[in-house]
Amino acid sequence: MAEVTLSNVRKTYPGGVTAVQDFNLHIADHEFVVLVGPSGCGKSTTLRMVAGLEDISGGTIAIGDRIVNGLQPKDRDIAMVFQNYALYQHMSVYDNLAFGLRNRRVKETAIDAAVRGAARVLSIEPLLDRRPRQLSGGQQQRVALGRCIVRNPKVFLFDEPLSNLDAQLRAQMRLELKELRQRVPTTSVFVTHDQVEAMTLGDRIVVMKEGLVQQVGSPLNLFRQPINRFVASFIGSPAMNFIDMAVAAEADKFHLSTDGLAIELPQSRFAGLGPQLGRSVTLGVRPQHLRLGSARNGEQVAFSGNLMVSEQLGDEQLLAVRIGRGDIRVSGVDPELALATGARVDLVVPIDSLHVFDGSSGAAIR
Amino acid sequence: MTATATLPAVASRNRFFDALAPGGRRALFVLGIIAGCLLFAFPVLWLVLTSLRPGYAVYYVHRGTDFTLDNFHEVLSQEIVLHALWNSFAIATLATVLSLGVTVTSGYMLSRFRGPIPSLWFSAIYVFRCVPYVSWVLPLYFVTRALGIFDTYWGLLLPHVAVHICFFSWIMKGFFDGIDPSMEYAAMIDGCSRWGAFLRVALPAAIPGLTALAILCWLYTWNEFLFALILTAQKTPILTVVMAQFVHELGMEWHLMSATAVLSLGPALIVTIFGQKYVIRGLKI
Repeated sequence: MAEVTLSNVRKTYPGGVTAVQDFNLHIADHEFVVLVGPSGCGKSTTLRMVAGLEDISGGTIAIGDRIVNGLQPKDRDIAMVFQNYALYQHMSVYDNLAFGLRNRRVKETAIDAAVRGAARVLSIEPLLDRRPRQLSGGQQQRVALGRCIVRNPKVFLFDEPLSNLDAQLRAQMRLELKELRQRVPTTSVFVTHDQVEAMTLGDRIVVMKEGLVQQVGSPLNLFRQPINRFVASFIGSPAMNFIDMAVAAEADKFHLSTDGLAIELPQSRFAGLGPQLGRSVTLGVRPQHLRLGSARNGEQVAFSGNLMVSEQLGDEQLLAVRIGRGDIRVSGVDPELALATGARVDLVVPIDSLHVFDGSSGAAIR
Repeated sequence: MTATATLPAVASRNRFFDALAPGGRRALFVLGIIAGCLLFAFPVLWLVLTSLRPGYAVYYVHRGTDFTLDNFHEVLSQEIVLHALWNSFAIATLATVLSLGVTVTSGYMLSRFRGPIPSLWFSAIYVFRCVPYVSWVLPLYFVTRALGIFDTYWGLLLPHVAVHICFFSWIMKGFFDGIDPSMEYAAMIDGCSRWGAFLRVALPAAIPGLTALAILCWLYTWNEFLFALILTAQKTPILTVVMAQFVHELGMEWHLMSATAVLSLGPALIVTIFGQKYVIRGLKI
């Protein structure tokens, strides 16, 4: 039983800078939660408060049914993986893994069994006698994971553990982490600035910006129903297209228009647009939802523009299409399709996959 | 070393080197190195030569062939020299141990902690470093007299330790700055207290730097003259001072002074030869 509960957690540094405010989150037993956001958003600070490496300025953090605010890191029964692995350079891999258990005065025979068991799970048995310096980045990260799992803690904390690895190794370690989760199910908090890691690893994702939680939800939930423009732009790759438009109403439709583009949306689907009449809103369209072609029915909206750039990826093409004064990105285009730069391109998108955001606050309008 | 037409000065210098035969440049380089080595080795060589000459021949070191070990015999038969050898060794060793003990923790504090105490400590060290070394001697003389520790081990040890702390805390801070603090965080999560994380993880990682500092510290104290001259008298003779006392109203006993100097070179040489590996490794951090 190791739930983690953060209630109204706040972190203010001496000098008045507030890194985290009003953070509320309940993490269920064995749940894998990812904190994601741009650098400086307070995600690492939040993790370090859970670990006990930062003081908590306000609110409470509970692990299991125990409030841990005043507890030393060593008394919280947690384990943490750091971005730069943080292995003890002057010890062998074996001693690195055994360090935590020796501190807890576990019997050497039990330590040996635990270390070898963890080494087997992570396939680092041949490395046990080496020094961290002699290992590759991926191997070091496996040792750091091993140091966590030997202790069998209540909570795993990950502070951008994959950031120092190259792209290929990162993808592989992501898979290994998922696999490890199935073998060693433990409540986990994972911090990253990479939305791909967040989407692939998390049961739930917490998107943060400037110390504030923006949205908490499952990966699919965040992708489909972002609560504001920031979450919409942060989740998904390539990022969502945004077009600033003016709103007008006519009969049962809303008219959204800007230079070189005008679309109609049924009032029944976007009731929230009513109070926005005469104001500016932002239309959000994911590159993945745009298709080449012209509108066939009332469930779709059509765009057209001129092709500026196409990028060949082998399995798909990415296009940049100039509509009005801005460019929008289109992904998932047939790689065989030959398109001339400057040619007219017709695009359609299902109305259901359109997003509209308040022009000033950025909040989603539905 | 690339010569370009737009830089005539560089080009002409390179033309000089280019004019040398293929081996010429190398020969010139080796000659330069040898000259440099001689420049440093010559005084030592002369010192050793002088120490092996009888008293009447020291002014003609370059002439004559009579060499003797009598100088060493005479010097070592003086009780004050033996006493000074031991004192110098003891003071250098004690000063190293004491000052490193403080320096390590002070450097660690400066590297890892922020707040009023570290900044006050940092400013204090900074101010003391800015004051010329020589200007401390006289006040220290009065202080040691007042405390009744003049001409004792403590009277010389404490000033040395104070100087070392000021000079080496900065270097130690640099060593700890080079050690990733997340290693200590990991240790704290792994069951260590803050102090335990320092002792069991940060300190072992700083050992190469610490060794280098220990050697520098020892050599510095062993070779130090000014403090020893002012802060000690007959009770606690120090080798560097005893050496200087071969200059007296009846003249200068160069042969005896050289013999004592050669004796004092011995331990320093041993420490340097065994320690240079660590000094280089430590200063590379």
